[in-house]
Amino acid sequence: MANYQLLNNVDHKDLRIIIDRSAEFGDDVWFAATFPSEFRNLQRDYPIFFTKHPETGKFEAVAVFGFEDGENLFLGEHGWHAGYIPLNIMRMPFLIGFQEQTEAGETTREPVITVDMDSPRVNTERGEPVFLEHGGNSPYIEQISSILKVLQQAARSSQPFFGALEQLNLIESLVLDVKLDDGSENRLSGFYTINEDALRELEGDDLAMLNRRGYLEAVYMVIASMSNIPDLIAAKNKRNAAMAADG
Amino acid sequence: MARQIRNIVIVGGGSAGWLTAGVLASEHRLASSRELSITLVESPDVRTLGVGEGTWPSMRDTLRRMGVSETAFVTECDASFKQASRFVGWVTGAPDDAYYHPFSLPQGFGEVNLVPAWAALDGERRFADVASFQPQLCERGRAPKQVTTPEFAAVANYAYHLDAVKFGQFLQQFCTRQLGVRHVLAHVNEIRSAENGDIAALMTDRAGLIEGDLFVDCTGFASMLLHGHYEVPYISTRDTLFCDTAVAVQVPYVADDSPIASHTISTAQEAGWIWDIGLPTRRGVGYVYSSAHTTDEAAEAILERYVRQTAGAGVAASMARRIPINPGYREVFWHRNCVAVGVSAGFIEPLEASALALIELSARMISDELPATRNLMDVVAQRFNRRFRHRWERIVDFLKLHYVLSRREDSDFWIENRSPGTVPARLRELLELWRFRPPSNRDFYEIEEIFPAASYQFVLYGMGFRPEVGEPKRLDDPQAAARCIQAVGELTQKYLAGLPSNRDLLEHVRVHGLRRV
Repeated sequence: MANYQLLNNVDHKDLRIIIDRSAEFGDDVWFAATFPSEFRNLQRDYPIFFTKHPETGKFEAVAVFGFEDGENLFLGEHGWHAGYIPLNIMRMPFLIGFQEQTEAGETTREPVITVDMDSPRVNTERGEPVFLEHGGNSPYIEQISSILKVLQQAARSSQPFFGALEQLNLIESLVLDVKLDDGSENRLSGFYTINEDALRELEGDDLAMLNRRGYLEAVYMVIASMSNIPDLIAAKNKRNAAMAADG
Repeated sequence: MARQIRNIVIVGGGSAGWLTAGVLASEHRLASSRELSITLVESPDVRTLGVGEGTWPSMRDTLRRMGVSETAFVTECDASFKQASRFVGWVTGAPDDAYYHPFSLPQGFGEVNLVPAWAALDGERRFADVASFQPQLCERGRAPKQVTTPEFAAVANYAYHLDAVKFGQFLQQFCTRQLGVRHVLAHVNEIRSAENGDIAALMTDRAGLIEGDLFVDCTGFASMLLHGHYEVPYISTRDTLFCDTAVAVQVPYVADDSPIASHTISTAQEAGWIWDIGLPTRRGVGYVYSSAHTTDEAAEAILERYVRQTAGAGVAASMARRIPINPGYREVFWHRNCVAVGVSAGFIEPLEASALALIELSARMISDELPATRNLMDVVAQRFNRRFRHRWERIVDFLKLHYVLSRREDSDFWIENRSPGTVPARLRELLELWRFRPPSNRDFYEIEEIFPAASYQFVLYGMGFRPEVGEPKRLDDPQAAARCIQAVGELTQKYLAGLPSNRDLLEHVRVHGLRRV
C-alpha cells in the first residue's frame, strides 16, 4: 500500500531517492498512463494504446512495455533500455496532491508534492538528495516538480482529446493475437486504437478541427507507435529464449 | 411508367410514428437522398398515449442502426436496463410463487436440452434459476453490463424500460435534426382519395394539402386511416385474453438510493395483473384487468393497495389514469397504399412488452420491402399482412400460455382462463406436443419470431408444467446438461462479482456516459 505524505524540508530533510531502473524498485509494470502531448516522445520506443479506466469507463492512453501484468520488456540488468522514459514512470515515487487553503474566506485547492514513503526508492543513504543542506530544493526535486506540473496540465487535456476522437468515431477496439517463437499464443484484449479507415475518410471541418487543436499530430503519433509492436514481440521472444537457455 | 414511391407520409407522432420515421429514414439514407421524402404529420391537439414502457432486446439493435447514442437515449428518455420479467403469483398465488423469464437463453440452448436434467431435480428449483444466471442478477439488482462495456453491447442480454412520452420526443429531435424527416404540426381534417381508391392526400388545418405515395397510420386507438377511412374490421381477442382495461399511476421512489429493478414485475391479481416498471426517476405501475370480472372501483383499490405495500404509506402516487383496451388487431394492416403501425394496427395487454417490438418489426419490414412502384405495393402488402397476422396470433398464443397453466382457483377470471374454449387451437396442439418434448425453434418457423422457443421454455416450465421424460436423446445428454448447470453457477458468481448495481450504472451513464466502442 502506498503511504503518501506531503513533502516538506523539515520531516524529509535527509530524504534520498534511488533513481535506478529495476524491478526491485517497482519498475516491473507492463504499461504506464500517458497523454497526447507525450505521444511524440513515446512513439519511437513504445506502442501507444488506449484503454478504459475501470471506474469511469473513460478512455485513457497508455504506453505499453509488455504483454502481461508485471512484464516490462524494456527493463534489463542495466536499467531501462529506451531513449525516453514516460513521465509517469519518471515521477515515481512522487505524486501531485491537493491542499485546501482558506484565505480571506476563499478556499482554493493548491497543488502540492506528495511522496510515497513506502516506496523502495525512498531512503536516507543512497540516491539523489531531495533537499540541499540548508533546506533548499535540490536540482533533482526541481526536475520532479516540473514533471508533476506537466502531468497536472496533461490530466486536463486528455478528456477533450478523447471526446473529439469519439465524436468522429476514430476509436476502434484492438485485439492483438501474438504468436511467439515457442509456439505459444497470447491474446491482448481490452485495448483500443485509432480507426485508420475512419481517419482517412475525414475531411473539411472535422479534419480542420483536429488539426487546429493539435490532435491530428497526436493521432498520427499513435499510428506510428504501432510499428513498435514487432519490436516488443521480438524482445519477448528473446527473453523467452534466454530463460529457456538458463532453465 | 408505373408510379414511383417517393413521398412517405406518417400520421401520428407517438413512439410508433417516430420509430417508423427513424427506421425508414436511416435505412434509406433520407438525409442524402434526392428522391425520397418522409413527412410526419402530428396533430398538436392529440395527446400521445405513453404506454409501452418495456421493450425487447431488439430495441438495442433498432436504435444502434438508426445511429442513436445509447448514452443520450438512456439519459433523455429516463430509460433503465431490463433483463427479465418476473411473474409473481401466477401459478398458485402462494407467497413464494414467482418465476423469471430472462432475456438470456438457457445455457447451451440448441446444443443441450436442459429440461430433463431440471425435471430430475427435486422440484424445488425453477427452470430459469437452473438454466440461466440472469435471475440472480435481477434478484441482486445488478446491471446487465459494466461501465467499460460499449454502448449497446451487453454482458447479459438486456432491453429497456423507458418513459414513452420522452422517447417520442427524443426520436422526434433525432429524426428531424439528424435524419432529415419533415415534421408538420397540423390536424388532419380530411382524407382525399385518388380515383383508384388509394389515399391521395391529407387536408390539414394549418399546413394545407399533404400528398403522398404511401401513408403510415400511427394514429393510435383512433386508427384514422385504416379504420376511420378504410373501415378495415377489427378481430377481437377478448374471448382468449380477457383484460380490457388498464389503470396506471406513477410512483416515486422511497429514497434517492432505492434499488432500480432491472426486470419488470408482473403480479397476478384477482382479475388481471399489475405491472411494475422501474425507471431511474420513478416507477410506472398499472393494473390491467377484465372489466367483466371486476369493477373500476375495485381495481383502483387493488392498485392502491399494491402501491402502499411496495412503496409504503407515505408515498403519494400520481392520479390514476384509466386506459380502455380493446384487445385484438385489424383483419389486415396494409390496405391499398396505407399501412398501420402501432396501436392503430392492434393492441393487447402489455404482459410481454410486445407493443414496441411489433412497431420495430413493422417499421423494419416496411423499410426492407419498401415497394419501388405502386404496382409492387399490393404484393408487398399481402406479404406484410400474412406475416403480421402470424405475429399477432403468436403473441396471443404466448400471452395465453401465461394464463392457461395457472392453478389459481381464487376467482372466475383465473378459472375461466383455463376453459378449453378460450385457448387457441394451435396453442392447444403445442401444449400436447410439449408434454413429451420441449418447445423448439421448429415450433416457431417464421424469421424474426416475436417470442423465441427459449421464451416458451421459461414460461412453460416457470408455470410449473412437468414434461413426461422418456429415454434420453442426444441433446438430453445428462453429462452435458450437468456441465451447463455448473456453468450457470460459475457465471452467476463471476457476473455478480463484476457487475455494478442497476442504479449505479444508470448514474454512471448520466455522469460519464458510455463509450461507443
